[in-house]
Amino acid sequence: MIDTLRAIVRGTLERLAHMAETQLPPLIVAAAIMLSAFLLASVVRLLILRVFHGIALDRFLRRSGVSSLVDHSGTLRASGVVAQSAYWGILIIGFLAALQAFGTEFTARIAEGAVLLFPRLLAGAAVVLGGIWLAQYLGRSALVWAVNEDWPWARLFAAAVRSMVVFAAVVVAADILNFARGVFLIAFVLVLGGAVLAASLALGLGARDAVRRRIEESTSGLPEPEPRERSLWHHL
Amino acid sequence: MRPSAPGLESFLPADAVSAAAALGRADIVIGIPSYRNARTIGHVVRAAQLGLAKYFPQFTAVIVNSDGGSNDGTREAVLSAPLEDGRVLLLRHPLLPVHRLSMPYHGIPGKGSAFRLIFGMASLIGARACAVVDADLRSITPEWFDLLLRPVLHADFDFVAPYYHRHKYDGTITNSIVYPLTRALYGLRVRQPIGGDFGMSRRLFNRYLERNDWETDVARYGIDIWMTTIAICEGFRVCQSFLGAKLHDAKDPGADLSAMLHQVIGSVFQLMNEYEPVWRARTGSENVDLFGFRYDVGLDPIQVNVPRMIGKFRHGCQDLGEIWSVALTKETMSRISALAREPDEARFHLDDELWVRVIYDFALAFKRGKLDRGHLMRSLTPLYMARVASFVLETEELGPEAVDEKIEVLCRRYEAAKPYLLAGWSGAAPPAEDRRSPAADAMEKMKEAHYD
Repeated sequence: MIDTLRAIVRGTLERLAHMAETQLPPLIVAAAIMLSAFLLASVVRLLILRVFHGIALDRFLRRSGVSSLVDHSGTLRASGVVAQSAYWGILIIGFLAALQAFGTEFTARIAEGAVLLFPRLLAGAAVVLGGIWLAQYLGRSALVWAVNEDWPWARLFAAAVRSMVVFAAVVVAADILNFARGVFLIAFVLVLGGAVLAASLALGLGARDAVRRRIEESTSGLPEPEPRERSLWHHL
Repeated sequence: MRPSAPGLESFLPADAVSAAAALGRADIVIGIPSYRNARTIGHVVRAAQLGLAKYFPQFTAVIVNSDGGSNDGTREAVLSAPLEDGRVLLLRHPLLPVHRLSMPYHGIPGKGSAFRLIFGMASLIGARACAVVDADLRSITPEWFDLLLRPVLHADFDFVAPYYHRHKYDGTITNSIVYPLTRALYGLRVRQPIGGDFGMSRRLFNRYLERNDWETDVARYGIDIWMTTIAICEGFRVCQSFLGAKLHDAKDPGADLSAMLHQVIGSVFQLMNEYEPVWRARTGSENVDLFGFRYDVGLDPIQVNVPRMIGKFRHGCQDLGEIWSVALTKETMSRISALAREPDEARFHLDDELWVRVIYDFALAFKRGKLDRGHLMRSLTPLYMARVASFVLETEELGPEAVDEKIEVLCRRYEAAKPYLLAGWSGAAPPAEDRRSPAADAMEKMKEAHYD
């Protein structure tokens, strides 16, 4: 009994020793790589913040609406975005390199998958980010236009425009990432079709009288009456 | 051959160059930009011909119609407008011929592009003076051309701005923004800076042609304020001529107000950037020489739907907060919000001080560039509606003199608030209080009386 226990304890200790012998060095190396990556990332972030502080890109981001898209207070700075991107990029690369230190098939697959997926992930992220920016811009254009045209549901209309553009960007990103392509595409087609149908019905019902009036005027040969009230706005 | 601006061939169409070559030279060019003005342009051309025959018979002249692709017979109306000189007493014969040209311009559709062609032609044929008038004018007379050209040809002025009698609700962009702002910025009281009918010297139109911002909003409705601002800021001699009443057709039934505001006020703000050293250095304002005999005239009535304008303002206040909160200061924003909550339309009042703050805040937001400039400028429309509605309510019972006095008070408010603009422009915190004391206002009034 005691011999058996001794054998088990010895076996356990031997296995632990073996594990320590085989796994600890890679773990230490991985930790060292991660630490180096962290230090490098911090230094690079600091350098970028110092060097690129206040470049014209900040103004571009503010004017184009990207700032307000990520940060509603509008204080987002391009240098900060670039610095954070570099920081996290180096950390991720460091993490993948650290995984390689273990030399197992599993970690190798993770690293390989990440490397293969990275460009597509990047492209997908760029498409979504671009889509969000475009949605913000077009949504605001739609909002201002709808208010000036005195549309009753201006904000709703702007939100619909934003949603549609973001949705379209997500569909494209899903296609790039090869992720649930069909589902997104069908959903998009359904939503777009519905929106077009709703707009057509609204336009048809709303403009019916105007079209009838126009046809009557053109057939009767009478000149189109000048709307008196508008005259105020045509004299600068 | 007199010197012409360089690079004209790059934008002038080939037929314009060949027409200029065939003409040789001329002393005066009358430019008429048009787009679908068949109904009125014949009258304008006749007035121009008679004006030239009556007042400048010793000069050779060309009437250039620069058309934006009309399909209603505008160009034919220009070329076939008969000169009914049998009904006009002319003192000198024989007359030098007045040539007429009508050609389409190229580039961005708009009045600015049309002017570019006219100035290019004037430069190419070595004209000494050029006058431009709108094609939709119903009140134009031959005397207008004398008043626009004589100060250039005989008194060495470079830029002649128009001065009209207008209905109190006509020219609201001019009265509420462009005139007071231009006056406060550059210190000259040019009453109709975007009037549309101008006279100018060769020196000035050649200067216009040298510039490279023709492809901006200048190409559209921004052209008038662009011309006036350049003339003022670059030291050209500026005067005004009293032309009587300005009665014209609706400018462009397809154009919308927000686009006009965007182009006109956007151009003012853009030029503020360029001429910052000029307006920074100027305080107060002074009168500009005025030619012509001032008289009172009857004017077309203008219908205004005040409740609808207030409704649009409230709608804007409800939905455009995300833009206005970036453009306006917190204090201005809260006062605007309070105004939108005013339940009694008869008591609706956007006072001068708040309005000036709104305009200066927009100018500062335009400079800071935190928002897309198109969105920013178009979002001004509901606020402008509020101002016009308030002005209409305030002046409903007032005669022309009292209305002019109101506009004068607004101008002084713009001038008084200029330190606020200057501080904001420099990035410093604007002065908390730009209201002047009643004593200062009284002093200013006395000064005005002295000027007048």
